[in-house]
Amino acid sequence: MKINRRSFLKLSGATAGTFMMGGLGFDLSPVKAYARELRIKKGKETTTICCYCSVGCGILVHTLEGKVINAEGDPDHPVNEGSLCSKGSTISQMATNESRLRKPLYRAPGAKAWKEVEWDWALDRVARRIKDTRDRTFKPTVRTTVREKFAAESAEESGLYRETFADVEKEFVVNRAEGIAHVGSAALDNEECYLVQKLVRSWGLVHVEHQARL
Amino acid sequence: MIARKSFFIDTTKCTGCRGCQAACKQWNQNPATKTRQQGMYQNPPDLSTATFKLVRFSSGTGPSGDPEWYFFPDQCRHCIYPPCKMAADEKAPGSVILDVQTRAVIYDPAVKVSPEAFKAIRAICPFDIPRYDEKSGRMAKCTMCVDRVSEGMLPACVKTCPTGAMQFGDRGTIRKMAEERLDEVRKIYGRASLVVPEAVRVIFLLKDYPEKYYEYAATEDVRGITRKTALKQLLHPFAAVEEWIG
Amino acid sequence: MTNHWGDLKNADTILVMGCNPASNHPISMRWIMKAKQRGGKLICVDPRFTQTAAVADLYAPIRSGTDIAFLGGMINYILERNLFFKDYVVQYTDAPFLVHPDFKMPGDLDGVFSGYNEKDTKYDRKTWAYQLDEKGVPRKDPTLKDPNCVFHLLKKHYSRYTLDTVTRITGTPKDKCEAVYSAIGSTGKPDRVATGCYAMGWTQHTVGVQNIRAFTIIQLLLGNMGLAGGGVNALRGEGNVQGSTDHGLLFHIWTGYNPTPTASVSTLKEYNEKFTPTAKEPKSVNWWGNRPKYIASYLKAIYGDNATKENDFGYALLPKLDDGMNASWLALFARMYRDQFEGFFAWGMNPACSSPGAGKVREALGKLKWMVNVNLYDNETASFWRGPGMKPEQIQTEVFLLPCCSSIEKEGSISNSSRLVQWRYKAIEPVGRSMPDAEILNELYFRVKKLYEKEKGAFPDPILKLTWDYGEKDRNGKIKHLDIHKVAMEINGYYQEDVYDKTVNPPKLIGRKGDLVPNFVSLRNDGSTSSGNWLYCGSYTLKDGKPVNMMARRGKEDPTGLGLHPNWAWAWPLNRRIIYNRASVDPNGNPWDPNRAVIRWKPANTVTGAPARWEGDIPDGPAPPLAEKDGKLPFIMKPLGVGTIFGAGLGDGPFPEHYEPLESPVVSNPMSKKHRVNPTIPMARLQAMAKDPSFLFSFDYERYPIVATTYRVSEHWQTGVMTRHLPWLLEMQPQMFIEMSLELAAEKGIRNGDTVAVTSARGELSGVAIVTDRFRSFKVMDTTIHQVGMPWCFGWQYPADGSGGDSANLLIPFMGDPNTLIPESKAFMVNIRKIAGQRSAMQNERGQS
Repeated sequence: MKINRRSFLKLSGATAGTFMMGGLGFDLSPVKAYARELRIKKGKETTTICCYCSVGCGILVHTLEGKVINAEGDPDHPVNEGSLCSKGSTISQMATNESRLRKPLYRAPGAKAWKEVEWDWALDRVARRIKDTRDRTFKPTVRTTVREKFAAESAEESGLYRETFADVEKEFVVNRAEGIAHVGSAALDNEECYLVQKLVRSWGLVHVEHQARL
Repeated sequence: MIARKSFFIDTTKCTGCRGCQAACKQWNQNPATKTRQQGMYQNPPDLSTATFKLVRFSSGTGPSGDPEWYFFPDQCRHCIYPPCKMAADEKAPGSVILDVQTRAVIYDPAVKVSPEAFKAIRAICPFDIPRYDEKSGRMAKCTMCVDRVSEGMLPACVKTCPTGAMQFGDRGTIRKMAEERLDEVRKIYGRASLVVPEAVRVIFLLKDYPEKYYEYAATEDVRGITRKTALKQLLHPFAAVEEWIG
Repeated sequence: MTNHWGDLKNADTILVMGCNPASNHPISMRWIMKAKQRGGKLICVDPRFTQTAAVADLYAPIRSGTDIAFLGGMINYILERNLFFKDYVVQYTDAPFLVHPDFKMPGDLDGVFSGYNEKDTKYDRKTWAYQLDEKGVPRKDPTLKDPNCVFHLLKKHYSRYTLDTVTRITGTPKDKCEAVYSAIGSTGKPDRVATGCYAMGWTQHTVGVQNIRAFTIIQLLLGNMGLAGGGVNALRGEGNVQGSTDHGLLFHIWTGYNPTPTASVSTLKEYNEKFTPTAKEPKSVNWWGNRPKYIASYLKAIYGDNATKENDFGYALLPKLDDGMNASWLALFARMYRDQFEGFFAWGMNPACSSPGAGKVREALGKLKWMVNVNLYDNETASFWRGPGMKPEQIQTEVFLLPCCSSIEKEGSISNSSRLVQWRYKAIEPVGRSMPDAEILNELYFRVKKLYEKEKGAFPDPILKLTWDYGEKDRNGKIKHLDIHKVAMEINGYYQEDVYDKTVNPPKLIGRKGDLVPNFVSLRNDGSTSSGNWLYCGSYTLKDGKPVNMMARRGKEDPTGLGLHPNWAWAWPLNRRIIYNRASVDPNGNPWDPNRAVIRWKPANTVTGAPARWEGDIPDGPAPPLAEKDGKLPFIMKPLGVGTIFGAGLGDGPFPEHYEPLESPVVSNPMSKKHRVNPTIPMARLQAMAKDPSFLFSFDYERYPIVATTYRVSEHWQTGVMTRHLPWLLEMQPQMFIEMSLELAAEKGIRNGDTVAVTSARGELSGVAIVTDRFRSFKVMDTTIHQVGMPWCFGWQYPADGSGGDSANLLIPFMGDPNTLIPESKAFMVNIRKIAGQRSAMQNERGQS
């Protein structure tokens, strides 16, 4: 007999009774245990917090032999209680991703392609750039006009206290590296954000901004 | 022994975040397919051997004139008497099995199925779930995460659902939950219904007519005879048996 | 967020406006659904029918950029019907305070407040002040009847925002508008609470700050601040944008929201005088009065022993801004475009896609000598020189793309939107030869320092004197592996010397040199304590003599049942979960709503001798409630101790007033004939400065007649760098799209799935049309206004075949809010046209989308 949706429906009433007997080849009795080993059974579990939005969901990362094999919601976490959205559900692909940068890349002025370089080389060169630009564009002081209190007097008869101001041009210390700007980042950990602000301000940067402004 | 399981999918709580669709891929390590934007959020466009769970998006204008946007996290319903198994037992024996503990309907990846057999199997499914990889000759669909469930874990999609739209548990509990929620929802949405709760292990609650969600959301036949009615007829004699199956 | 994610479940009414949590903060919906299950109502006000709208109890459409009109109408509705919470308003806000008699409002002065100077587009804020008595305390009228009291002025100002006027501006149907007003207005009772959630839909406007102020006023009027299920909740975008802001990664603040000094503030003494508020109100805690302690402790943290009383704790080592200087995002890129910078760091950022006017930003990058980009993936910023329209051989920028590792390949903490600071652990080794950002910083610190040690150079002191004691050093003096726990401890702070309580005899040792400081109450201004960020003081403390990482705690207890979870991780300040919580109780310390008691005052027990104390959440300061002896007002961060309805500190007005977006389809503002847009935007000055003024913004509604807005999708994050590369996410949202209404599509001959071009004065972009019922046109001032919307998560660099499209920020005006300079990305003008037919779009009879 040719079976399709239509005939299935047609037959349904008439032949229902035969199902138990296997009349249409339908057999409920020999159900089978479908065994597949839980693939995270031998994995190690590490807790993390999702790297995407600011809800801050807890995630369990399962690893085996140094590789991420699974990641899913942390059921103990009071915010997400084990649940995750599409982004959180797929963070394992972040660790197994072929697009991830594995070495520093360098693009020389005018070049048409990236070149892989060693860390030491790249970091030394960046440090050199920072120093040269900082030295070249460092501004120790600025002259600026400020409004200063010129005189203060109490007029006894009126009981009013009166202050007089004047605009004065003065030189002030600013100790600023004018030629470098920094943006980023809300994608860093707190400790790293703290280090960023500490470091770039020690270099004298004031053009320091990040995602919070957008 | 694990009690026979069921899902309750309350679409009134679904926000279309697709956590379930993503978690399903992740757990099953199913590959992503190349897609393109085709004038809708739904992507990939359909279920496949690489996509067992798909949130279907459907928008329009409701009776009040307000927009409406429905999300339907489609998946295998794990029928109590799975028609696909009926077809498979004849056309491709052993390819569809019922898990002894959970009663999940499983397509055995070890069994090769001919294109003709697959055609028959897909054709009989009231919900258009079975998919086939011609290259390998294997069928695939939702496994109810039996590997997880038999270890006492929730299916990946249910666990990841943020809003409580998806529930999973012992059939008795789930059926009660579904009926109670239906009563609640009906107070606001008169058209609300459960999709053949007696016939399937994945029970959908819809607040509107099924066809507003997706062609195969329920069991509507082209001739106007609802599959729901047909399935009811089909299953009615076994009401008592169903209780026994649990 | 004043409250927290789980607290959303405690609300009776949730207003979602200027955000779309179902798409962008999906897990928040877990708690919103729980509120709904309890009988709570979800209200969504948005220009488009969003995923949040799809599950809302009430949806009201609104034209982009007209939120103040909508909320102003709500204030008017609440005041006209006396729906406000009078006890709260009189005692906990500035509503009874009298304002300067010469203060005038836009209703009197055609669109501006008193003190407006047209020439420099600024306000002289002399009249925006409270009347003070002889002690310097504001004069009050607790009956709220004085015509000069804040309450009365508020009422007068918003009486202009009638339902008719408001709906003519916003395009919201009247019945929807009223339904929203009535639902929110119903919470002005002690046992009813509403909360509000917002995100970039409120901030990214030329009236961004005032949008939020408008809702804050509503929450104060209804007595919803400080309560469980209440508050004003910014749903922040980035995972650690709360933390990165707390740690001062903005030009105008150092860590812990201490202002960046300017040139004329040349000594620490002057700094403290200028930035430390004083309170004449005896019942005000005035927490910012502690600023000198926090600054001294910060300087001690970064300069250690090199920071002494004698050298102002190294105050002069740090760079200063010029007086009045703005170095914010837009200014930074404008200066880059004008060649001011040689070097540039884009650290964990992709400004070539995330910045407004992204096209000009890409050009600006070509004017640099060198650029360092640190990222997980290549991106549009790092590779700008090979982007669309670029000629690499002519671009002289030297680019370093340094690979950092992901969050699961290192250890550290992040702060979520509700200030919850959580520790995360390392699961695997860094991929390839990528490094944690902290290690890259360590390398740069060391290498730059070495160069200065060897070669000297411009003022090396700030570099050479910096503390960097984060682990074992190699033989060159470099920290081998940076111990992130040591950084966390430095942020918390140490006793720098033995500190004694000298009020007792003999003096009692409080803290031993080298010990972690327990909390910021212990910080001092004399150099005896250090703390890298006072807000985080208490996050890493001593317990039984051993350091304890409070951020790593995993206690699940919930003693109040409100979901505060006080033993889960740690929240700043002092582990407080709901800020302004002293406003959740009446002046006797009893919760306004006993069923949602955040804190409660327990008077002393005369039998057991137990002293009086607070129970529940960590209160906003230990002082007793207002009515007790030494009782204090609830809003401890405000110098006057009360919530401020009259926002005299802002540059653009003490009350929010509706102005049109810079680019809008409305020729004249119905609220004011003279001022179409925010009058404090220095339009003329900016347009004179820019070579191509239309790049900033363009008021040409004939050429660009369609309102546009941008947003995110669930599957991608920000510019998409961290999600486009994930095949599972890209599969779900592979390509740029433009959403529009059926009417507009018909007018333009566009079918669902067609490829369309969107053009603004800044640039052009193409994407796939989604023609949908979820977008509708608006009836505004008897005219039909169309709108389109698009996500901003795509970029040319990946997918590598360019199939994704490019960033919506190419279209965005390069102008923003005059207070914060956040760009106006959420309302701008475009035109659209079809460029190619569909390639078999998915369509059924219902037009699936």
